Amino acid sequence: MMIKNSIRQLWRMKEKTLLFLLLLFLASGMCSLGRGFWVINNRNIAKYEDTFMTIGTVEQKASSVQELQDWNAETKEYRLYRRPMYHEYIPESVLDFEGADYLSGPERRVCYGAYCPEYEMYGLGMSMGYIIEATPLEDVVPDHPVQMEVTKVLYGPGLMEHVKITFCDHRNPKPETLYKGKTYVMNLSLWPGHESEKAFSDDYVQEYRPSGDLVSTQTDTDGNPMENTVGEEYFYDEVTEGFYETETGKRWMNQLACMEYLRHIFPVSATENIYLMMAFYRGDVYISSGREFTEEEYAQGSNVCLVSEQFANNNGLVLGDRVTLPLIMSNYKKSTGWVFSSSSVKIGSLLNAEGEIYQPFETNTYEIVGIYGGMNGTGDDYGMGYQEIVVPRGSIRNSDENNIIDYGPMKGYTTSFQIENGTIEEYMKKWEKLGIDDIEITFYDKGYTRLRAGIENMKNIARLLVVMGTVMVLLVLGYFTWLFILKQKERTAVERCLGFTRRQSFWSLFSGILLLLLAGSISGCLAGAFLSGEISGNTGENSYYDTSFGNSTSVIITEIQEEGEDFYPAAAAAETMLGILLAGSVIAGAGIIYNLRQEPMEMLGK
Amino acid sequence: MEILRAENVFYSYQTKYQKVDAVQNVSCAFEKGCFYAIIGESGSGKSTFLSLLAGLDVPSEGTIYVDGQPLNELDRDAYRLNQASVVYQSFHLFPLLTALENVMLPMEFKKISKKEARIRAQKLLQRVGLEERIYRQFPKMMSGGEQQRVAIARAVATGGEILLADEPTGNLDSENEKKIVELLKNLAHEDGYTVIVITHNQSVAEETDHIFRMRDGHMEQLR
Repeated sequence: MMIKNSIRQLWRMKEKTLLFLLLLFLASGMCSLGRGFWVINNRNIAKYEDTFMTIGTVEQKASSVQELQDWNAETKEYRLYRRPMYHEYIPESVLDFEGADYLSGPERRVCYGAYCPEYEMYGLGMSMGYIIEATPLEDVVPDHPVQMEVTKVLYGPGLMEHVKITFCDHRNPKPETLYKGKTYVMNLSLWPGHESEKAFSDDYVQEYRPSGDLVSTQTDTDGNPMENTVGEEYFYDEVTEGFYETETGKRWMNQLACMEYLRHIFPVSATENIYLMMAFYRGDVYISSGREFTEEEYAQGSNVCLVSEQFANNNGLVLGDRVTLPLIMSNYKKSTGWVFSSSSVKIGSLLNAEGEIYQPFETNTYEIVGIYGGMNGTGDDYGMGYQEIVVPRGSIRNSDENNIIDYGPMKGYTTSFQIENGTIEEYMKKWEKLGIDDIEITFYDKGYTRLRAGIENMKNIARLLVVMGTVMVLLVLGYFTWLFILKQKERTAVERCLGFTRRQSFWSLFSGILLLLLAGSISGCLAGAFLSGEISGNTGENSYYDTSFGNSTSVIITEIQEEGEDFYPAAAAAETMLGILLAGSVIAGAGIIYNLRQEPMEMLGK
Repeated sequence: MEILRAENVFYSYQTKYQKVDAVQNVSCAFEKGCFYAIIGESGSGKSTFLSLLAGLDVPSEGTIYVDGQPLNELDRDAYRLNQASVVYQSFHLFPLLTALENVMLPMEFKKISKKEARIRAQKLLQRVGLEERIYRQFPKMMSGGEQQRVAIARAVATGGEILLADEPTGNLDSENEKKIVELLKNLAHEDGYTVIVITHNQSVAEETDHIFRMRDGHMEQLR
């Protein structure tokens, strides 16, 4: 009865009641839309946190540039070239500064090589160079292409004895004389010949040049080159009686063994997060079967590994199989991607400073838990090495101090770390405070920063909508409380005079208002929630995000495929509705109580 | 038979600047079926005394008895709903309800069925001299006299015994004034109501059975 009477009286102010409903609908809708956006954006941020990852790569800048010259036997002049020089190698420990909250790393990945004779890395068709014995047809100084006869092929698929070859000590400005009748052992590689303008003519010949791989590049752990027992200009030797019993001869024999090693040496990377490796981060490679390493495996340095599809297919390996990896070399200068390409291997010398082949410093048997597919062996610094094997960083426990074949500064492709998404600026501020100018850090976040900024903008809009909606709700409630309640003082007073209890008088006004509040806020909030769901649904599908940040020139595009789910922030709408109901009830209730506190006679007297 | 009695009633209240003794030591009694007038100057305490009789306020001192029961021991809301009703100079009808609905409302609050309330309301409205054509209208479409009749019908709708009227003819012309006074007199003499009218209109007071005068919060019986 009370509600009916209350509604009847409201209904007789149709225009005002409908206006109130409309305004409350709009204000509630605005609030709910804002809240909906807020919830959806927060949900998106949470979702994108899993999709995006922010990594930084670290590169030491060159201290200076050294100008070098390279003799060209064809042009008879030096070719000038430059290479970066570093006064010192900055250790990766500089990245461990206060406030640097890394999620992974920083890690400096070493290009390891594992000698696995049971597995084939490169086929016989791959040219690894030649080791032959040859004699000149006459006494010559090989400062130009000269003819020599192969007397013995120690290593050299396709090369036959008694074949005449063209030889040129191309980069040596003052080669020594080679004497007819003497035999020389030579480490050679095949190059395009002189007179390149004849490249397509029948009489064009390629030439063999000395290869420097006999010279060890071994360094100590600080990157200082270790003294070779042979000189840097050492390319070929005269073979005399008992030559191979001498120290030099033994080195030649070791080098011969190295040629076979090169066919069975596999790149290995040890990491604490595979996504610190750019190939995984960029998506050049991906786990095609099996799984990634678990947190526990990373932490414990478990003997598990990821292998490439080629490696698995070439060797008939499947998930769960085990591979033994004797690590014989460490290269701190170059990446696995650069050293091990599918068309060439650029390891350099596998001989140590004493001329011996490096011996394994770590041998572990790893279980294959994942197989990755995608591009590898392209020769890209940042790419995966050909048939590369990835193991947890902690699984390499022994020191490689005697197996370092090359050392260099931190490079973007060897040194990286992961930080929390959206903290690049914060990180850089702290980093810049250290004042280290020789290190350049490049961030990759797959567009997270820009996406986050977009979402933050949306959140600001949501905030604005909520504030405007709230203000509007309060104004509407305030105005209509004045209209429906405070201006109805007389009604309350008369009801009291007629014997209505305070409670009856309260409900006589409040029940109708409550019904209007329910109708306006429910419909408005539902409409707002629906609208926010629709708008975000339309804008969220198939978004492409670009991705560079700051000093990075690289661009990685991430495509986010929405799963097509319709998400309407129902809980947020319900909360908003309850908030409006509560506010409305409090405001209206306070107005009615204010009316009831006044003496009826006094009110009617006025 | 005495239905309402005030014994040594005081009422004072505090304004922003001073304490006002609106009613001072008033004692009087009201008989069933009689028509009373309380006259006095503005500010003499008439309306305050009426609100005390209506149970809208409580005396600072003294007691008001209803059928021998102290009013302050009764449920004053129930007292107004069932026994005592008030009529005002400005009618105070609910503007959004028709005359009929105005009269039905207190009955509906008394849990009387809608059907019965309608029949009773119609009878009451006819009793105060309003035709159906009139009482289907909203108050603003009616004359002052008609509105006051509706107010009186509403006041007696719940079947009480006491009708308290505060300047019921104050806004009416002389013709309507006469009709309302006649109606109130009939309610007292024919229907047995105790009708207490506050007025400063001498001609209205002359029509009543007993006259009290209030001056500076004190009351004296003139007739």
